[in-house]
Amino acid sequence: MTPEQITLVQSSFERLGPDLPAMTALFYQELFERDPSLRPLFTTDMREQRVRFAQKLTEIVQTMPRLDELLTHTRALGARHVGYGVRAADYQTVGDSLIAALAGLLGEEFDAPTREAWILAFNIVAETMLEGAAAARPIGS
Amino acid sequence: MTLPHWPIVGRRPELEVFERALGSGEQTGLVIYGRAGVGKTRLADECAGQAAAGGHPTERVAGSRTTALLPLGAVVGLLPDGPVRLGSDGQVNAVALFEQTRQALHERHRGRRLVTVADDMAQLDAASLALLGYLAAQRAIFLIATVRTGEPVPDLLIDLWRDGRLERIDLHDLSRAHLDTLLHLALGGPIEAGAGREFWEASRGNPLYVHELVLGALESGALIDRSGVWHLEDHLPASSRLLDLVEQRIGSLSAEARSVVELLALCEPVELGYLETVAPAGVLESLEQAGLVTITVTDGQVRLAHPLHARVVRAGLPKLRARAVLLAQAERLAAGGSTLGRVELRIAVWRLDAGAQPDPAALVRGAQLARATHDFRTVRRLMEAVPSEQLDAVGALLLGEALYELGAFDESERVLALGQELPSSENIALRLAVTRAKNAQWGLCDPEKALAINAAARAVVTTAPLVEELVADEASVLTFCGEPDRALAVLGRTTGGDQRTRVVRAIAGAVALATAGQTAEAVALAQAGYADHVALGDEPAIAHPAMHIVNQVFALTEAGRLAEAERVARAGAEIVAFQRVPIAQIWFAVNLGRVAILQGRVVTARRYYAEAAGLAQSSRFAGSRRVALSGLALAQAMLGEPGAAAQALAERAATPPFGFLGPEQRLADAWTAIASQRPGDATEAFRAAAAQAAATGHRVAESWLLHDLMRTCGEDVSGRLRDLAGACDSALVSARARHAAAVRARDAVELTSAADQFEALGAMLLAAEAAGSAAAAFSGAGDRRAATAALRRSSELAAACEGAVTPGLFHLSTVKAAAAAPLSGRETEIVLLAATGMASKDIADRLYLSVRTVNNHLQHAYAKLGVTSRAGLAQALGSAI
Repeated sequence: MTPEQITLVQSSFERLGPDLPAMTALFYQELFERDPSLRPLFTTDMREQRVRFAQKLTEIVQTMPRLDELLTHTRALGARHVGYGVRAADYQTVGDSLIAALAGLLGEEFDAPTREAWILAFNIVAETMLEGAAAARPIGS
Repeated sequence: MTLPHWPIVGRRPELEVFERALGSGEQTGLVIYGRAGVGKTRLADECAGQAAAGGHPTERVAGSRTTALLPLGAVVGLLPDGPVRLGSDGQVNAVALFEQTRQALHERHRGRRLVTVADDMAQLDAASLALLGYLAAQRAIFLIATVRTGEPVPDLLIDLWRDGRLERIDLHDLSRAHLDTLLHLALGGPIEAGAGREFWEASRGNPLYVHELVLGALESGALIDRSGVWHLEDHLPASSRLLDLVEQRIGSLSAEARSVVELLALCEPVELGYLETVAPAGVLESLEQAGLVTITVTDGQVRLAHPLHARVVRAGLPKLRARAVLLAQAERLAAGGSTLGRVELRIAVWRLDAGAQPDPAALVRGAQLARATHDFRTVRRLMEAVPSEQLDAVGALLLGEALYELGAFDESERVLALGQELPSSENIALRLAVTRAKNAQWGLCDPEKALAINAAARAVVTTAPLVEELVADEASVLTFCGEPDRALAVLGRTTGGDQRTRVVRAIAGAVALATAGQTAEAVALAQAGYADHVALGDEPAIAHPAMHIVNQVFALTEAGRLAEAERVARAGAEIVAFQRVPIAQIWFAVNLGRVAILQGRVVTARRYYAEAAGLAQSSRFAGSRRVALSGLALAQAMLGEPGAAAQALAERAATPPFGFLGPEQRLADAWTAIASQRPGDATEAFRAAAAQAAATGHRVAESWLLHDLMRTCGEDVSGRLRDLAGACDSALVSARARHAAAVRARDAVELTSAADQFEALGAMLLAAEAAGSAAAAFSGAGDRRAATAALRRSSELAAACEGAVTPGLFHLSTVKAAAAAPLSGRETEIVLLAATGMASKDIADRLYLSVRTVNNHLQHAYAKLGVTSRAGLAQALGSAI
């Protein structure tokens, strides 16, 4: 990513402000529409789940410029997701849903450069989460 | 600036595929395809790393130009530590060695599957591939193979993949987003927009290219970190070739680092402990940081990070320098006092690559291993590296056999004759004689010489079981030069003998018996011979075990068990195509052609015979090619294509005479004459060939020739066919005799029975012709309903014959023509006879009519069919089918 792209991700996220819960709700709606089979993976109360997601997302966006710190978050997050049975292909669905939810809330402000920046940011997060997942999942024989 | 770790990006789905395959228990491996630099090696190593983290033992084998020189050169790491066990005859037994390896691995890893990375499969030698295939099939290893796009895919992978036991991954370059992520993670922070674009445009997502570009730019100072953002101060190298890029990086190494890299390129893997003693402190660390070498912690082995690095270094290394490095390493290991095992093999590889003379004993053992996997090219290369004054009788046998298998018949004769001059055991003397005779017969097409070699060997081979084998081999020469009766007489003089003798006797006996018409015994003997051969193991100087299956197919065909013959032949052909055994491939194709001809599937027959002729040409077996071209001409003629048939015969004329299936070969001449409207020549060819068959004991072939003489020229051969049916136990020979008798008697019911019998055998063309004759006979007897039914049946049967154009099918076009302008019953009968080329007088005699009446009928028929002559009649009928 370029420094400008990191800034774009952060500034567009800040602009969500009070709409963050709405974006989160839209994200899950998009996710389950794209792949209903993911629904059973979420066993906790969805309201609580949305809050947690918003918190994690905020943390990640804030640490975006400091890679070491970001990786600590994402690798641990990935390792936790192993237990949920999440696979590499699911990350693609999650990324698409997030982009769609952001576009839904930000409207015209979510222009092409912003979109590209988010895609790259998500890709870094997904790759490092998967790295953390692989390390946490020693494969059987 | 040092990079902590070059990350792997965008390959998680592939890693999951590996996890699933390893965990499933059903899969035995994974193959990764992709072009150079796409990340195959990296992905394979990452898979192995994950497996290791999960507690699996792991191993890495890699081929190179060096290791490809000696069998098993690439997989020395898998071989047991101790000496290779030799067989009772002092030779390396590959199967035993493979099993010994499997057991050693099993013990070493307590039954856990060894996850084995085989990098750059195309560079592995045949024996290494065979060992990997064996271990994978036995579930001793889980194979992770890499294959570069455009390089040949080893058969072993195709085989495993076809059986559904191999996962396949096609690796592609990274997307722009993945490249961006890779740069971000590798550099540890954001990159300036222009620089990111430049890396993308230069690499187009090829991971190794990016790797080389980034590390090169870091080293040269072109890529620098300014306040947490990476900037490119200079343009990236202009070269668009990955190789150039690698060369530039290697070229910029310090002298000390370079000598370590050179040592690894030639001899990797090298023990870390040893490298630390020769390289100045810090050099290895700097190479590791530069991403040029990888160090396996578990076994302390050091390798170059990527095969491409090794290729580039080796290509740029002066020969003398490479030689010095290799010899020094060979000395080092030899000083350790190694025995026959993996170390010795490695020393031999290095000495050979250095252009120095390796121990001839190591070369011979290597050649024996290669021979066990039928890798005759390697046998030849290794044995030709042995100086001729050091070649002993055993070596001459190995080399001579390889030369024969590779089609270098004159050289084989020279080497084997030389080998016979050298001192040897009686056993080796026998094998030299037998191989030399085989070369004389099949390669040089000189059976007299083969018999002379066999006779001369009696002077040196005198003990019991060996003499028996020599006698059996004489029978083999006789069988395959077209003397089945003499062969059976010789075989009658031998009894008992050891397993090896039984195997040789089965090869000669099965074919001789089948040719002579003792088909049940022939089938049983071929089956027993195969079982004996498999139990005996694959030995030098005997034909490939698959030849027993070829013989079984031949015997089944002569017995008239066509469907069975076809099934066995197809299965066998697939096996030998996989193993690349040219002689067996040729003869399976010939036999499939024979079966198809007898079934009436003439287009299929043409395809098989053409395939056999092509295979024989490329492997230089001129005699086999002659037989295949005869079959090709026969099929062409039966398709009504005299020009193409004549062309095949012209090609055949350029090959030397070859006695095997001699009478049958002449079917081609006779049928080409038929297709060319020369019935006189055809009759002569059939008669001459049948006489030759009768004189030599080709009873089944004689019945074929005589029956075809009747089918095409209307000759009465029923008497001799009846005798042959009595002398043979073949349903096909019996059916021919029955057909001939029915034709002679013009017995419609018997003709129908003959059609039934042919149909039951799957001989559809003969069935169609017999049903056609039945129709004519019913018609002559005034039974129009039965005649119509028989005609319909004939037409249905002929539909399975792929467009065959034989005189016996002319009635069908008559039927079609008659639909437009109906011929009378009498006209039909006369036209059918006339179309076979029979003269009006003969037709008149046969039907108790005057010649004048016959001609009147013919004129009317000509008018109805729109032709003006007998030749035109045949033409019109033929092309109308």
